[in-house]
Amino acid sequence: MRLRDLKGKITPADVILLFLLLAISISGLIFIDNVMPQGTEVIIDVNGKQVYMLPLNTDKSVKVKGPLGDTLVEIRDGKVRITESPCPNKICIKQGWIKRGAIVCLPNRIVVRVNSTKDGNRKVDAITG
Amino acid sequence: MKKKFIALIAVLSIFPALFSCNLGKEKIYKDSKIAMDTIVTINIVSNSKKNARLAASKAFGEIERLSSLINFYSDGSELSKINRNAGKKPVHVSPETMDLIKDSIVVAKKSGGAFDPTIGAISVLWDFQKKLIPGKRDISKRLKLVSYKNIIINEKKQTVYLRKKGMMIDLGGIAKGYAADRAIDILSSSGIKAAMVSVAGDIRAYGLKPDGKPWMVGIRDPRPVSATENILAALPLKNMAISTSGDYQRFFIKDGVRYHHLLIPWTGMPAGGCQSVSVIADKAVITDSFATAVFILGPEKGMRLLEKMGYGGVIVDYYGRVHITEGIKDKIEIKRPERKNHSG
Repeated sequence: MRLRDLKGKITPADVILLFLLLAISISGLIFIDNVMPQGTEVIIDVNGKQVYMLPLNTDKSVKVKGPLGDTLVEIRDGKVRITESPCPNKICIKQGWIKRGAIVCLPNRIVVRVNSTKDGNRKVDAITG
Repeated sequence: MKKKFIALIAVLSIFPALFSCNLGKEKIYKDSKIAMDTIVTINIVSNSKKNARLAASKAFGEIERLSSLINFYSDGSELSKINRNAGKKPVHVSPETMDLIKDSIVVAKKSGGAFDPTIGAISVLWDFQKKLIPGKRDISKRLKLVSYKNIIINEKKQTVYLRKKGMMIDLGGIAKGYAADRAIDILSSSGIKAAMVSVAGDIRAYGLKPDGKPWMVGIRDPRPVSATENILAALPLKNMAISTSGDYQRFFIKDGVRYHHLLIPWTGMPAGGCQSVSVIADKAVITDSFATAVFILGPEKGMRLLEKMGYGGVIVDYYGRVHITEGIKDKIEIKRPERKNHSG
């Protein structure tokens, strides 16, 4: 059957079916993306309790209250860092930007981690050292 | 028309079916908390989020309980009580503290004193945040207080006694591994079939991941080329533990010299032969303490001790050369090319 022969035989139902199938496959893709987020969350814990869950792809700065005072966490261009901290040694600030893993501020009991399902988890499950 | 409609219904009906078979499937649930003055991460394989959360909270609780018993820096711990009563009287302790001190003495003996839990009298002299190097006289005065042979254990009475006044037990080189082991014990007795616990760099893996593969652990590069390429090697762990001692974990550099927390019990100064040592064995209490011992001994003697004990090991020596024990050579995957003269 050639394309020219087919032309007259396509009914409106065929067109509807085609669009429906397309819509289903596209929505399926979106659905899968939502069900399995790809390394996108920044989770902030204070003293072991989760206080924030933020998307890594949205620029934002948040103030997190720890036992010593306020720690400032900045998310920008898919990276996260601590910009201000009341801790004595400022190791958390010196760590700079991260895309995966975690920044831990022990004195102010704050953990900022990137919940990466995309890369980190697939290569290694943990790091020693 | 009708046929097409039926076909459409058939296609549509496949989608929910595709997702419904995911329900009840095993997943990895990950949770992190600050405990033992470090970050503790627990990965649990379970088909129920509720069960995973419950088991994780029990394991975290156990680590916190252990920490309260054996914290070197907390006055309320059993360990501090032992140290305060050094040269005075024996102190009654819980079975866990007793267990851990006994384990630490075994490792001290096996390593010829390279790992010594009584290093506390020296380690308090060092302050790595304030970048203070203790005076030679202060160190030499306290060296006689460092010997595991002066820990007197009375199993019947469940007491620990330090023979000399001023002696101090510091379990910093073994406690995190012990905690990882205890956490795995708690998880397995809670019905969890696979998990991985990391107490800082002390990791114990148990069972297999949902995909049937062993847990993959990366070893941190002691001198990474960049912040993102920071893994030296990776290896699979199946019902095994791994720990790493490195000169980059707690350190400062003064006048071009690196001073770090891995102190030689007979000199009181940082050991110079290695950049990092990773040890692989069946328990984290072993890997944690032997990583310290091997670091103190240096690459040659350390390698011999590992081979003698039958443990796996990866040593990065002072020059950045990587040494791997025979048993794990075929399992480990090196992630960075060998570099020479990359010390400092």
